[in-house]
Amino acid sequence: MEYKNVLTVCPYCGAGCGLYIQVLDGKIVGVLPAKEHPVSRGKLCIKGWNATAFVNHPDRLKKPLIREGDRFREASWDEALGLVADKLLQIRDTYGPQAIGFLCSAKCTNEENYLLQKLARSLFKTNNIDHCARL
Amino acid sequence: MAEAFEPKIIAFLCNWCSYAGADNAGVARMESPPNILPIRVMCSGRVSPEMILRAFRAGADGVLVLGCHIGECHYISGNHRTAKRIPLLRKLLSYVGINPERLRLDWVSSAEAPKFVRVTKEFVETIRALGPIERELNLKKE
Amino acid sequence: MTRKDEILEAIRAHIAEKLPELDGVIGLRRTQEGTAPYLFRQGDDLSELALEPRYPLAPIVSLLQRHYPEARFGIVARGCDIRALVEMAKRNQVNPDRLYILGVACTAEEAEECHCSEPAPAQMNQFSGKAFGEPVPGASPHPLVAEYEKIPREERWAFWQKQFAKCIKCYGCRNICPECFCEACALEDPLWVEPGVLAPPFPMFHLIRALHMATRCVLCRQCELTCPAHIPLTVLYELMRQDVKELLGYEPGADLEAAPPLSLTLAEV
Repeated sequence: MEYKNVLTVCPYCGAGCGLYIQVLDGKIVGVLPAKEHPVSRGKLCIKGWNATAFVNHPDRLKKPLIREGDRFREASWDEALGLVADKLLQIRDTYGPQAIGFLCSAKCTNEENYLLQKLARSLFKTNNIDHCARL
Repeated sequence: MAEAFEPKIIAFLCNWCSYAGADNAGVARMESPPNILPIRVMCSGRVSPEMILRAFRAGADGVLVLGCHIGECHYISGNHRTAKRIPLLRKLLSYVGINPERLRLDWVSSAEAPKFVRVTKEFVETIRALGPIERELNLKKE
Repeated sequence: MTRKDEILEAIRAHIAEKLPELDGVIGLRRTQEGTAPYLFRQGDDLSELALEPRYPLAPIVSLLQRHYPEARFGIVARGCDIRALVEMAKRNQVNPDRLYILGVACTAEEAEECHCSEPAPAQMNQFSGKAFGEPVPGASPHPLVAEYEKIPREERWAFWQKQFAKCIKCYGCRNICPECFCEACALEDPLWVEPGVLAPPFPMFHLIRALHMATRCVLCRQCELTCPAHIPLTVLYELMRQDVKELLGYEPGADLEAAPPLSLTLAEV
């Protein structure tokens, strides 16, 4: 029997509100705002209050899936990434770099987002990069 | 020329008593005001504060809740809940600036068609004197 | 040692004494990264026990008891936590017989901050437990509540419109409230509260909440503390509490045996 609160940062937007994830016996059971956090001071927006909703959601992807016709089939990371790389290069060579858009995410780290924009700009030679928090 | 204000009133009528009373008034050709929009519910206890607030939000100038007399509720205690709930909601309305007279609770049995007519006529005049609800809310009617 | 430190020492000692016969004690734990609710168990470092900042601990009892219905828990609770437990117990959210309360009296400053009329664990005589700290007298009520009668009715709507216009519908007030445990919440029903619309002209969300809280609110003030828009929610809830007392003779949080009036018939009142 273990109940504790784990301090973390809301993954959704750039504000970075502090929140506690309530954990009971290793399972997420709720969220509490972090009252001592200098940014959020014990308050959260609706996304913060539901920040843990995706963790155990039944729709959450657990394996790479490749679409074939109407269905998705499971694949390995190597196969999936190989397919993505081939297709993206194909599109760039056929339609030009402006045909591709890159969307990064507030759930990624700054470093991961940096890498994606480097990929977009240096390799694919496009400025079409944006971020989910702007949508 | 300004049109005379005709109040729009939503009346929640319980199926077993007040709705039947209203029905009897109609059958007996008694004239009750046309300003009333009746909504039949199975029991006045079913009328939740959300429903009443929604009526005001939709632009009702007044809301009337009519149920069975205490002790005569078809579901025994439903009207007891109403009897406690409505005064609280009236207080809340007064705290946010809505005249609590716009919400009225009364008991009308199925045999009391004349009472139904009297209560509705009285209520329409009360609301007419209070004016349209926009006066208090700066609301557009939905 | 400050008064608070003395009380803390006493509570820690008592917890150490009681832990062998309890399955855990719910309290606040201070670590390097911050202070948050925690279940102290046999063997945990009790020097980490803290008394503030004030988190609502009553819902944690409910959560733990649901998963471990046979367990006996202790809780380091202020007056408001205990009042919340009383109301939750009446509604079958908490089992009072399996609860041991370490009641903590608030300081005068804390009472002032919360405009609390009962900053002491007065209700714990209805549970098994032990009280700590000298109770201080209640603070004066929220200035708005005290003067509310003087505000003319025409101004009230404009005042609340302005307040509710700030609402971002984070549902924080509902989420943090110890008395909000309904699985089907009216505030999530699109029939009453339109999804995707902020600051509607008619504040359905807030009026429904004020009425639903009427016989439940124990004025713990957590809703107001967690509102990002600083809406003075408890002013409305406190006004309604006064009416519940006057019209129904009921005071939420006072008496474990007093059944909530909205589920009683008139004859039994």
